[in-house]
Amino acid sequence: MSAYILRRLLATFPVMAVVAIFVFVLLRLAPGDPAALIAGDDATAADIANIRTRLGLDLPIWHQFVIWIGGILQGDLGVSIFSNLPVTRLIAQRLEPTLMLALATLIVAVSLAVPLGVLAAWKAKSLVDRIVMGFSVMGFAVPVFLAGYVLIYIFAIQLRWLPVQGYKPLADGFWASIQSLVLPAIALGTAYMALIARITRASMLEVLSQDYIRTANSKGLATERVLLLHALKNAAVPIVTIIGIGIALLISGVVITETVFNIPGLGRLTVDAVLKRDYPIVQGLILVFAMTKVFINLMVDISYAFLDPRIRY
Amino acid sequence: MNAVTDQLAPPILEVEDLRTHFFTRDGVVRAVNGVSFSLRPGETLGIVGESGCGKSVTALSILRLIPRDLGRVVGGSIRFEGRELTGLDEQEMRGLRGHRISMIFQEPMTSLNPVLTIGLQIAENVQRHLGLSKKAAWDRAVEMLSLVKIADPHRRVHEYPHQLSGGMRQRVMIAMALSCDPQILIADEPTTALDVTIQAQILDLMLELKEKLGTAIIMITHDLGVVAETCQQVIVMYAGRKVEEAPVEELFDRPMHPYTRGLMAAVPRLDGRLEGGVRPRLQEIPGIVPSLTAPLPGCPFEPRCAFSTEQCARHMPPLERRGAAHDAACFEVDRVLEKSLV
Ligand SMILES: Nc1ncnc2c1ncn2[C@@H]1O[C@H](COP(=O)(O)OP(=O)(O)OP(=O)(O)O)[C@@H](O)[C@H]1O
Ligand code: SF4
Ligand SMILES: [Mg+2]
Repeated sequence: MSAYILRRLLATFPVMAVVAIFVFVLLRLAPGDPAALIAGDDATAADIANIRTRLGLDLPIWHQFVIWIGGILQGDLGVSIFSNLPVTRLIAQRLEPTLMLALATLIVAVSLAVPLGVLAAWKAKSLVDRIVMGFSVMGFAVPVFLAGYVLIYIFAIQLRWLPVQGYKPLADGFWASIQSLVLPAIALGTAYMALIARITRASMLEVLSQDYIRTANSKGLATERVLLLHALKNAAVPIVTIIGIGIALLISGVVITETVFNIPGLGRLTVDAVLKRDYPIVQGLILVFAMTKVFINLMVDISYAFLDPRIRY
Repeated sequence: MNAVTDQLAPPILEVEDLRTHFFTRDGVVRAVNGVSFSLRPGETLGIVGESGCGKSVTALSILRLIPRDLGRVVGGSIRFEGRELTGLDEQEMRGLRGHRISMIFQEPMTSLNPVLTIGLQIAENVQRHLGLSKKAAWDRAVEMLSLVKIADPHRRVHEYPHQLSGGMRQRVMIAMALSCDPQILIADEPTTALDVTIQAQILDLMLELKEKLGTAIIMITHDLGVVAETCQQVIVMYAGRKVEEAPVEELFDRPMHPYTRGLMAAVPRLDGRLEGGVRPRLQEIPGIVPSLTAPLPGCPFEPRCAFSTEQCARHMPPLERRGAAHDAACFEVDRVLEKSLV
C-alpha cells in the first residue's frame, strides 16, 4: 500500500514540471508587451526599456525560465506588475474565501448527492427515483449565475434569511462565515450534485444486480448494510472519480460564483489579473490551480487502493 | 445415501403448489408453475432438469430472494418447520436467511463480494444471527475455513476473493452458508462452474459436512451423476413443473417420464470432458422447449416426446402415484416402462 502511494506521489512530479513549462511558455507567447502595458499610454521608449529590464523581460527566454523556476521552488511566484506586491501574498490573501467556498460546496454536494443517488438506485423506477433524477437533470441544466441570482432573490432579498452578497472571513466567527457561504455553495454545487447523484445511481444500479449482492441478501443482512457496505463500496470507484473530476469543474465555476456573490477570492483575482494582463499573478494562479488538480488526482488514486483491493498498479 | 434421514420425522420444509412468475414486457413468465415437494431433516433432495426449467427460481423463491420488481411468488405455500414463509414480513425472512436456511450459488467467481475480506463476509453472518462479538465471529470464521479444509485459515481469513481460486471460493461460500448451523442448505449447482477434479472435492466436502452437521440439503443440479452420488430423493423439473419424483435408486431403476429418460441418455460419459474441463449442460434432447409465457394446453414435453399421442397435445397429464413412492406426470408411463433402458 505505501509503495503504491509513494509511486503515485512520484508520478506527480513530471506532471508538475510539464505544467510549469507549459504555463511559462504559454504566457510568453501571448500577444501584447507587458512592459508597454505597464508603462502606460504616454511612456517613452526608454521608460519601456527600463521596465523591461526591471522585470527581466530582456533576458534570453531560457534564462527567464531558470529564474522563474528557481523562484517557484523557493515559494516565490514573482511580483505583481501593477501592485508590486508578491504574488504569493496576493494569492494567500484571497485563498480563504475560495477554499471555504470550495470546501462547503464539496461537503454539501457529496453529502447530499451520494445518499440521494443510493436511494434512487435502491428504489429504482419509483417516485423517489423519478424525483431525484428529475432534479438531477434540472440541476445540470441550470447555469451557475442563474442559480445564484435566483437564490439571492428568494433567500436573501425576499425571505431575508441569508446575506445577499459578500464573504465573512472565519475570523468574524464560524457561523457568520458559513452563512455567507450557504447560497454560493448551493449555486455552485447544484450542477456538481446533479452529476454525482447521477453517477452514484448508475454505479449503484449496476452493482445491485451483481451476484454478491444476492449473496449478501441471502445472509439476511440489514438493508443498510447491504446498500452502504456491500454495494456502495463496490460502486465507489466511479463515484470518487467523478467527485475528483467535478472539483476541476468547480474551479471554473468558482470564478463565476465569486463574481455573482461578490466574494473576494481567487476567482476574482484571476479575472482581474487576466484583464490587466498581470502575467506573474496569472502564472501563479494557473500553477496553484494545476497543483490543486494534481493533488486531487493523487487523493483519488490513493482512495482507489483503499476502496478496491484488486487495484495495484 | 443412507440412514441419516429420519423417515418418520415430520418434514422441515414443505413446498406446495409453488408458483413464481416474472412480469416482463413480453408477458408473464411462469418460471415455476405449481411445484410441490418436501424435505425431511438431514435428507438430501435433488432437483434436476435442463437449463431454464426453473430450478434456481424455485430455490430463490423459498428464500424470497427474487427482486420484487422482476418477479414474485404468486401462489402456493412454503412451510418451514410448520411455519408459513409466504406470509412472513421482510424482517422475519431476514432472520431466517443465512441462519436457518442458507444458500450457495452457481457462480463462485462472482458470488463473493470482491472488495471485502472473506473473513468479514463469514463473520458478518455469524454476528448478525448468533449475536456473537466481533472477535468471536472472526474466530468462528477461522474455524469455518478450517472446517472446509482451507489451509492456513488464520492468514486466509484476511484475504480477498480475487486471491482465491474458484474451488476455494466455493469452499468459502460453503463455510459462510454453514457458519450459523442452518437446518437447510440450498446448493444451487455448487459445482457446475468448477473444474471436474475440483467438482469431486467440493461434493465430497459437502457430503462430509452434511454427515457431521446433519444439515438437510436441496441439491440443485443438471448432472444426474451428482444426484446419484449425493441424493436420497429426486425431483425432475421440466418447464416450471415437477414431472417426476422418486427415491434415487427407484428413479434410476425405473425412470417413468420420457423426459427423465432423455436426461439419462444425455448424461455425458465420465471421460466426457469438454473445453476448460467443464461438463456440458443438458441440452441434448432434441426439440423445442415450450414458451413459459404462452403455455400449450397439453403436456409441455409433447413437442419433444417420442411417446406422445394425440391426447398429449390436448390435455395436461396430471402428476400421479405410479409406483412405491414414485410419482410421474405422463399419460404413457406403461409404454415407457416397457421399453428397457439402454
Ligand atoms: N429475471 C427474470 N425475468 C424473466 N424471466 C426470468 C428471470 N429469471 C429467470 N427467468 C425465467 O425463469 C426460467 C427458470 O430460470 P431458472 O434460473 O430457474 O432456470 P434453472 O433451472 O436454474 O437453469 P440453469 O440450469 O441454467 O441454472 C427461465 O426460463 C427464465 O427464462
Ligand atoms: S404425457 Fe405424452 S407427451 Fe407428455 S411425456 Fe408423457 S408421453 Fe410424452
Ligand atoms: Mg440455475
